[in-house]
Amino acid sequence: MITRLQDINQILGAMDLFRNQMNSMFNTFDRTYSGGRDWSMAETYPRTNLSDTGDNLELIAEVPGVNKEDLQVKIQGNYLEISGTRKPDNPEGYTVHRTERESASFSRSFTLPYEVDAGKVEATLKDGLLKLCLPKSEAAKPRQISIQ
Amino acid sequence: MSENEIVARTEQSGELVHQLPVAAPAVDVYENDAEILLHADMPGVLKDDISVNIDNGKMILSGMRRLQSTGSANWREFTDIEFRRTFAVPQSIDVNKVHAELKDGVLRLHLPKSEAAKPRRIEIKAG
Repeated sequence: MITRLQDINQILGAMDLFRNQMNSMFNTFDRTYSGGRDWSMAETYPRTNLSDTGDNLELIAEVPGVNKEDLQVKIQGNYLEISGTRKPDNPEGYTVHRTERESASFSRSFTLPYEVDAGKVEATLKDGLLKLCLPKSEAAKPRQISIQ
Repeated sequence: MSENEIVARTEQSGELVHQLPVAAPAVDVYENDAEILLHADMPGVLKDDISVNIDNGKMILSGMRRLQSTGSANWREFTDIEFRRTFAVPQSIDVNKVHAELKDGVLRLHLPKSEAAKPRRIEIKAG
């Protein structure tokens, strides 16, 4: 069985190499980071990850170069909206050679899988990642049922 | 060892390297008389995971993102990744004075020009 696993591992390792080769093709054609998943083209901004930790939902969004003051988060029941502006940060007195980092305002809304307690939501912005900790509302929390 | 000998060997598990997917970060490039300035988006990358190597006219910028994910995933639109990009750097850059700061997931890399390369106004004297 152990040898089997090693075989599978080898195949996966080879696939990693292959994927990196394919991705480096993008570099060759001078295209930039456009998705955690390979080959994804059309953009939703910001990209997010949502995970479920039992009592909470955790949402992480990629918002590099956005100030705390320029971000708004709106929650109602299981509806969540993240909006904001990414202000241009081009320095004064420099000539511009290349601009790939767009500055624009953005807005994205989600339907969360559960209702959340809007009063207890915590949001932190660190290293260009917005983290939202969304406690599920009492009714949606997992509960231990005692058997009679 | 004879030349005709064929050695069959299998890859050992210790040799396997699980590489992060690699992508080029989006960058802005600016220049003034004193320096070239580069802004690169690297959301979620920590300071210690960034490396800048300048060698032989090439600069390799690399930043690893390792996310701490908890719980079960409902959806994933981004993953752990290595942001890597290679730039050609002109000879006029003073490599020893290159410095960078990281703020809000944006790396600002300053590449100062060496004194000799800075533009200079030449006075023309009347003969």
